[in-house]
Amino acid sequence: MIAIEHLAKRFNAPGPAHKGLSGFGRRSAPRIVHAVRDVSFDAPDGCITGLLGPNGAGKTTTLRMLAGLITPDAGRMSVDGIDVVAQPGAALARMGVLSDARGLYPRLTARENIVYYGRLQGMTADAANARAEHLAQMFEMTALLERRTDGFSQGERMKTALARALVHDPANIVLDEPTNGLDVLATRALRDSLRWLRSPEGGAKCIVFSTHIMQEVERLCDGVVVVSHGRTVACGTVGELLAQTGESDFEEAFVRLAFSADERAHHEVAGPFA
Amino acid sequence: MNNFRTALTVYGKEIVDALRDRRTLLTVLISSVLMGPAVLVAISALVATFESRAELREVYVVGIEHAPSLKNFFERQTYTVKPAPADFEAQLRKARLADPVVVIPKDFEAALLRGDAPVVEVVVDSANQRSQAGAGRIERLLNGFGRERAALTLALRGVSVDLLEPLQVEDRDLASTQTRATQITGMLPYFVMMAVLYGALNAALDTTAGERERGSLEPLLMNPLDRWVLVLGKWAAVASVGMLIAVLSSLSFLPGQWVLRSDTLAAMFQYGWREASMFLVVLLPFAAAVSAVLMAVAIRCKSFKEAQASATVVMLAASLLPLINVFSLGSESPWYLWVPALAQNVLMTHVLKGEPLGAAQIGVPLGVCVALTALGVWFVARTLRSAAVR
Repeated sequence: MIAIEHLAKRFNAPGPAHKGLSGFGRRSAPRIVHAVRDVSFDAPDGCITGLLGPNGAGKTTTLRMLAGLITPDAGRMSVDGIDVVAQPGAALARMGVLSDARGLYPRLTARENIVYYGRLQGMTADAANARAEHLAQMFEMTALLERRTDGFSQGERMKTALARALVHDPANIVLDEPTNGLDVLATRALRDSLRWLRSPEGGAKCIVFSTHIMQEVERLCDGVVVVSHGRTVACGTVGELLAQTGESDFEEAFVRLAFSADERAHHEVAGPFA
Repeated sequence: MNNFRTALTVYGKEIVDALRDRRTLLTVLISSVLMGPAVLVAISALVATFESRAELREVYVVGIEHAPSLKNFFERQTYTVKPAPADFEAQLRKARLADPVVVIPKDFEAALLRGDAPVVEVVVDSANQRSQAGAGRIERLLNGFGRERAALTLALRGVSVDLLEPLQVEDRDLASTQTRATQITGMLPYFVMMAVLYGALNAALDTTAGERERGSLEPLLMNPLDRWVLVLGKWAAVASVGMLIAVLSSLSFLPGQWVLRSDTLAAMFQYGWREASMFLVVLLPFAAAVSAVLMAVAIRCKSFKEAQASATVVMLAASLLPLINVFSLGSESPWYLWVPALAQNVLMTHVLKGEPLGAAQIGVPLGVCVALTALGVWFVARTLRSAAVR
């Protein structure tokens, strides 16, 4: 179970550099960027919770804070009751995170990549190897295990990275835009895997995944959290959100929730490619 | 204990990763292992040509026909007199002629008889090192001729030859054969240090900027492990690669001795197991420090390429600092020992001279290396988290 309350984070972004030679190396005063203003949600066990938001809404920053990479300015995050800021190690041990960056080690085989993370999670070599084989069966990548990841396709990379994140059989799974760059079949396979992980046989995991794709949410998610401009703007099931907005199309509902009336109007006037 | 196991896991992975980078590793290994013998062969070939020139006992002369007495003297000294080529000046300038040329004036004999002290030129080009090296030998030969003439003239007049030499001058060279050899082998420490630097460079960049470029640093930090443990494991792996190169290049001079073509050099260049182990005492802490510094420089860079550019500053400093010792021609200042890279060069030069290293001489650079290592590791650990998300 993952609980996030009133999370906020701002960054000091360097100001734009002066133009021209005379201003070389000088920058104007740094701007303050509010990446996350107020995000709250609960993700219960045995459910897939979708974090839905447009690009730049603060999804990745939120998940990075959850993974302990960034310290939040305000708010509280807990994983199975463990405070992430106070005990990052204990919280990370209960989470499997597939982050936005999912680089593999190209000179290591898929198995070595997976086992390395298992060892870092404190597993024995035998346990990590057994788990790697189990995950490989689940994601249908047994043939890939002994190959170096150098020439892997996007889908193969994704599977390896996912297996790597789940090697320690975490109770909570956090995925940042997992379907990015995947083709239809790979996306379907991923969806099936996530459904299985949610089911009681699969361990009734708590799954949080961020996306900007409506269909993913409609097909997969038990609960949806709509994030926009760094704030949680709506929470509920797909049906509840449709009812709340009075729309029948989920995309329309999302646009109503995520963007202000001004933004929508501006977009319509300026055309789709403005 | 658990942290130690995790550090070991990181270390193991980084070592495997570095060893699988075959092409890079092979290039560094081959160049560092073959470098010792190659440099020695080059130096010994150079010395051997000097020696063979001296052994040939040849003297190139223009206008020997004007000086039969000088020719006679040369031949009595078992020298072969050879006529110099007509364009000897041009050849000397272009370094095609490797011997100095003696130029004898037309009225040599007549002037000698009159006591007019004819001018005999020894023509060299000081930019042509080989001709320069032979000049001393030829000048001594000509002085010998002069002394003989003077002694004969005085003896004819019943004056003792001893009057000409009211004092005796004798050279006493304090340098041991090994000390003299360092004039020639002084470049070796420099090459060894470069090998260590380039050996550690690739691994240091790959474990820091390389992780960032691949996007593998962010997921790596999402494992429940202490940043210190992670950085220490990585640093230990990079340092091990650097140390491996240090060991290989230090040992490569042992067989390098067998291929020395010059007997003199082989006698002067004493490099045995003792010298090799002293080299390692100096080099291993240096490899550790260089690894940490390179990692600290590279962790700030987003890509391997950017890191290479930044690392150039470190590489340049490490290659320029030892030159202070090379150009100061043996007069050392105490502060040399406090400067990394320079200190190592100074100490290795001492080892080659066959001088023992004192505790302070080893201790000061060791302390500097330990401090640099700690600083580098601290900086990487501190920067790691912000580097992962940017």
